Amino acid sequence: MREIVTIQVGDFANYIGSHFWNFQDELLGLAEDPHGDSIFRSSSLNMDVLYRTGETHQGIPTYNPRLISIGLQGSLGSLSSTGSLYTSDPDPSDIITWSGNVSRYASEPQQKNLFLQTLYEEQTGPSAVSNDADVVSPTLQREVHDKDRVECLEKGVQYWTDFSKVQYHPRSLYELHSSWTDVKQFDNYGTGKDVLSEGLQGEEMNERMRLFVEECDHVQGIQFILDDSGGFSGVAAEYLENIADEYTNTPVLLYTVRDPHAYIHAKSQKDSITRSLHDAVSFSTLSSYCKLMVPIGLPSLSRSKLSSTLHVEDQKLFHCSAVYAAALHSISIPFRMDMRGPTVNTAYVSGAVDVGGIIQMLAGQGRQNMVATLDVAMPAPSLTGSILRSLNSLTPEVEEDVDDSQALESLITHGMLHAGRRASLSEVNDSIVAAYDCEMSKPKFSHASVSLCPLPIPLPFPSIFRSCVGRQGELLETPTEMTQTKGSLDIDSIPMAARLRSSRAVMPLIMKRLENLRKFGMQRGALGGGLLQNWGFGREEIEDMGEVMAKMVMQLDPHSQGSSGSDWD
Amino acid sequence: MSIRVLNPNAEVLNKSSALHMNINAARGLQDVLKTNLGPKGTIKMLVGGAGDIKITKDGNTLLKEMQIQNPTAIMIARTAVAQDDTSGDGTTSTVLFIGELMKQSERCIGEGMHPRVLVDGFDIAKRATLEFLERFKTPVVMGDAPDKEILKMVARTTLRTKLYETLADQLTDIVVNAVLCIRKHDEPIDLFMVEIMHMRHKFDVDTRLVEGLVLDHGSRHPDMKRRVENCYILTCNVSLEYDKSEINAGFFYSNAEQRENMVAAERRQVDERVQKIIELKNKVCSGTDKNFVVINQKGIDPPSLDLLARAGIVALRRAKRRNMERLVLACGGEAVNSVEGLTEDSLGWAGLVYEHVLGEEKYTFVENVKNPHSCTILIKGPNDHTIAQIKDAVRDGLRSVKNTIEDEAVVLGAGAFEVAARQHLITNVKKTVQGRAQLGVEAFADALLVVPKTLAENSGLDTQDVIIALTGEHDRGNVVGLNQQTGEPIDPRMEGIFDNYSVKRQIINSGPVIASQLLLVDEVIRAGRNMRKPS
Repeated sequence: MREIVTIQVGDFANYIGSHFWNFQDELLGLAEDPHGDSIFRSSSLNMDVLYRTGETHQGIPTYNPRLISIGLQGSLGSLSSTGSLYTSDPDPSDIITWSGNVSRYASEPQQKNLFLQTLYEEQTGPSAVSNDADVVSPTLQREVHDKDRVECLEKGVQYWTDFSKVQYHPRSLYELHSSWTDVKQFDNYGTGKDVLSEGLQGEEMNERMRLFVEECDHVQGIQFILDDSGGFSGVAAEYLENIADEYTNTPVLLYTVRDPHAYIHAKSQKDSITRSLHDAVSFSTLSSYCKLMVPIGLPSLSRSKLSSTLHVEDQKLFHCSAVYAAALHSISIPFRMDMRGPTVNTAYVSGAVDVGGIIQMLAGQGRQNMVATLDVAMPAPSLTGSILRSLNSLTPEVEEDVDDSQALESLITHGMLHAGRRASLSEVNDSIVAAYDCEMSKPKFSHASVSLCPLPIPLPFPSIFRSCVGRQGELLETPTEMTQTKGSLDIDSIPMAARLRSSRAVMPLIMKRLENLRKFGMQRGALGGGLLQNWGFGREEIEDMGEVMAKMVMQLDPHSQGSSGSDWD
Repeated sequence: MSIRVLNPNAEVLNKSSALHMNINAARGLQDVLKTNLGPKGTIKMLVGGAGDIKITKDGNTLLKEMQIQNPTAIMIARTAVAQDDTSGDGTTSTVLFIGELMKQSERCIGEGMHPRVLVDGFDIAKRATLEFLERFKTPVVMGDAPDKEILKMVARTTLRTKLYETLADQLTDIVVNAVLCIRKHDEPIDLFMVEIMHMRHKFDVDTRLVEGLVLDHGSRHPDMKRRVENCYILTCNVSLEYDKSEINAGFFYSNAEQRENMVAAERRQVDERVQKIIELKNKVCSGTDKNFVVINQKGIDPPSLDLLARAGIVALRRAKRRNMERLVLACGGEAVNSVEGLTEDSLGWAGLVYEHVLGEEKYTFVENVKNPHSCTILIKGPNDHTIAQIKDAVRDGLRSVKNTIEDEAVVLGAGAFEVAARQHLITNVKKTVQGRAQLGVEAFADALLVVPKTLAENSGLDTQDVIIALTGEHDRGNVVGLNQQTGEPIDPRMEGIFDNYSVKRQIINSGPVIASQLLLVDEVIRAGRNMRKPS
């Protein structure tokens, strides 16, 4: 068994993570449900890859995500950072270390929303819920209840914990303490670095990592989700540096994610320079500490091609994070297929590959480009259409429909449908081959992983499906007369297709960062020179960063303008 | 004004209101922290929105928990926290001192004095106080065998302000012994060589010093012994797990057999490393009742664990980086980065190694070591916040012992120094100062009294009575401090109440600097937020 350690850093990363773990939790639940779809019971997906087994002091076995989540203090809402699983303290308010006076300062308790309340009641057993149960039948009442729960999430999600149904290990959630720094000022690389220098916070983060890794027999990789739009970049860079140091041969797959708010126009020129430099610096620093980097997060999902099936309200983090989480889930599927060598296929999965394998495939051969793009089809169309044509990019600032014969890709599909039923492995594989055959320009290398297990839609998933999506995620020819969007109550599961692609499409993204660094940071008398100094970068380091990015561009396109650094001097 | 031209929304506070704002902020902070001070202070329990509990009596911890927004208050808080970073204690005193300096200044400025003159007075008084401190301090000779009693007194003084008496006294011995354990002659003391480990235990509140090391993990193989005696310890940083070290191009295999071969070849390298360790074990242990323990910073995978277990070796993986150093200091030997040319000399020694399991948490005790230069303070407590508070107290206690050894001096506590310094300023220094700066010296001297005053207040005593009694004794030439039980003057020397010299020095140094800066502010300009809003 090859374990994965997941790390989430930053608010939006935690939003995505929250959905991601909800999917896993749902899969676990469905696998045990004797009345559920049999595909979930025999999915051939090994959840131990992502989860760890443990035991409380009382000897109660536990099963929790192998996760480290880092956020700012106060970002956990009503969830206590140590969780409820391992605490069994009779009276925590009893002070046994002091015999003198005690003064108590309590902040206003965070209200749990209806969803969390009902979740809590389910866990602690039915209490006062069934007041009028004798009037309505229990199932009916439950449905009514579910409707309210979904509604309460649609109306207001303030924290990523508001819609999380997962129990976390007490070592999982870490709140960064930044004394007297305004959250609004935590928006650039420099502040992130400063925060970590305070006290022993960096060390505590490393310790948590070490304890999770110590339990593992053989870690296959680290899945690192980072909200890189602000100070968390600096935090993550330090964290990744330590990981590269301590776990040298453990591959790191880094997703840098951004929420739509990160794209709002800067208020002033100063802000916009800060932001440009932040993007450049964090991109180049982070790339040096990981093996493969996947930038995701569009300025607007509602204006992307995905809007034909999804109705996403961009301003709601709850909505957009769900889409990205689904994509990340799909990418993670091959990592946990029961590995019996790449040539052995079961009836349920094919194309197993570990984190190192994916990275090797995309970044280790050919041009050695380590920045990949992520495309997704959600829900994936039935096999009659071309899977490749249905994919939409989730990576921002890329060139659309780039023609690149050097491209390397890894395609993952799961739960594909064919003529109203679940397609078999061979059908899916044939259809993928056919799809590639139809393409005008074929990639240099492609790998396909297929699983029969679709993406389950858990209750706290937002209602973002358009009415043309059916209960099994099929695309209806005749959409039902529903103007409302569909959510978890109308849809059980959906087929998904996702693709990681290493191609020239990322050129604009790298070029922009490189140009900004040159313009604001490297030119003589550049406007951002002082800023970079404040962040602790010397002139040479900045030049190195520029070189690293120029090299990336060169690798992608030897004839490009990437080498024309002299223009700026 | 030009700022208005640049930003019409900018808010400008003129001189008097700027000063007022600064004074208020300083006093506000003082009010929050003053109940913390001393062994009669109030402990604070902070309950977060999600029910998270923190308890603290430490000014430093409390400041960090506060959502301070007022810029002046942040400035003071940063100074106070920096105080803690450099000397390990005195956060509360720093805040109180700055607050009191501002309060005294307010009075003087209200009477028409210019802040500049006041600041000059502060400066003179500060220098005089530091000189006085040099004479007042009690030198302690350290040499080869430090006076344990005096170290204990300092540690006890600190700890009793953080924990109740019995617990504080128990910890006193522990922190003193811990520091003496890691102390090496003529080398600075590295407190990181004291490991602080905790266990959550339902009913148990206990802290003990382990002369050796406690690791927070155990062996990962069912056949490895849980308790071994007379052990060689191999401290290493060698990967004993199979990993595709460098991702190579030959990733895809044409058939399963080829893949197996590839894996086997890479596997062999790891096995060879394990074999080298086993060879050494056989060499040093065979025919004796001695055992062999491997503590590795890198990973050890199941096949390697299997091999080691079969050879009767206990192996731990993923040890803390810092424990590599600690282990060597505790057990001897050296931390090796390669298994090539291993000899007996690289090995350390421990009389006893055993595992303790609490739920899913495992602890490994490495004890009965010869001549340890590293040790562990093991804290047991019923919940996280209790453990956290004891941990903070232990850190402060350790710092106070380290400071004493490095300062080679201590200062009489219980307010004795402050009262004496004030008397010195008033009777000797003030006269030598020309003009109005005298008032600055006087204000400074009065501000020093904030420590005994607050101690008295926290004990429920009448501050004026106490100050009169104390200054009266000092006038008669007796150096006394405050007995917090009775309010009577006591001799701190007799009671064993001593503070750190470096902490006091730092407070005297930094307090007036910040106060002066705040007093000399001419204008406060802030664009954006409304600063008159109470924080």
